[in-house]
Amino acid sequence: MMDDLDDLFASARRDAMQPSAALRARVLADAAREQPKPALRVVAKPGFWAGLAALFGGGGVLAGVGSAAVAGLVLGFVQPVGFGSVTDLLAADTLAGVEFMPGIDALLAEE
Amino acid sequence: MPRDSLAEVPDEALLVLYANGDPEAARLLTTRLLPRVLGYAGRLLADRTEAEDVAQEAMLRLWKQAADWRQGEAKVSTWVYRVVSNLCTDRLRARQRRRSEALDDVPEPADGAASAVAGMIEADRMAALDAALASLPDRQREAVVLRHIEGMSNPEIAEILQIGVEAVESLTARGKRALAAILSGQRAALGYEEAE
Repeated sequence: MMDDLDDLFASARRDAMQPSAALRARVLADAAREQPKPALRVVAKPGFWAGLAALFGGGGVLAGVGSAAVAGLVLGFVQPVGFGSVTDLLAADTLAGVEFMPGIDALLAEE
Repeated sequence: MPRDSLAEVPDEALLVLYANGDPEAARLLTTRLLPRVLGYAGRLLADRTEAEDVAQEAMLRLWKQAADWRQGEAKVSTWVYRVVSNLCTDRLRARQRRRSEALDDVPEPADGAASAVAGMIEADRMAALDAALASLPDRQREAVVLRHIEGMSNPEIAEILQIGVEAVESLTARGKRALAAILSGQRAALGYEEAE
């Protein structure tokens, strides 16, 4: 009987159900519906600061220019004492009284 | 990816491609797995409509699992066979409950509309095998079908049924002996009367 049984198993292998086109279509429709979709890449619209930074050649440059502007304003309003003596020296005297090369007149006079 | 370049790709890699959005991978996996899944379900359930439902459900679960598939844990085919085994067990138990409730012991008619004599004999033999398989306990039936009809190795069956290899050997041996005993009384129905 075991040989008969092996024959029967062989027949069963040949007799196996084959998928119909309709079943295959249903399975593929399921596959399409369940297939993970690639994540959408969100591209942000450049804002005001991004546009401004691009105009100056990057965020770092914009930060440097901004810092320099603020520092200039602060110095202008506060007017520290040390800076006052320098500006007095430049602005208080007339231009004629300032000798940028004080030794040259003596040299010319000797000729 | 073109079909030719995917032909040699293992099932596990195809599943990863499917999870990454490759539609060709789904077609190839369906071509490879659906006939095996349907054949196994068909032999366990002996009913085409139910077998098709089980095959579609098992493939659907595979598609749903694709994104979370853990590589190296199980072969795709083993995983799908395990799903089919569980789905068929559920359906056979539900069928048994319905029958016992309805006191309806009439066996299912043989599938197909064979009109030729040879076809009828073949259909009768398959119907007898299906009836004999149906009378086996769940695990024995699954082990016998996987070993002798699906042609799987004992380690593969052990993985599908989640039992040890020795238990598989015991199940298939006992199942085959039980089948032989059931069928020995039906030799005429199986077309072996001339052989004696």
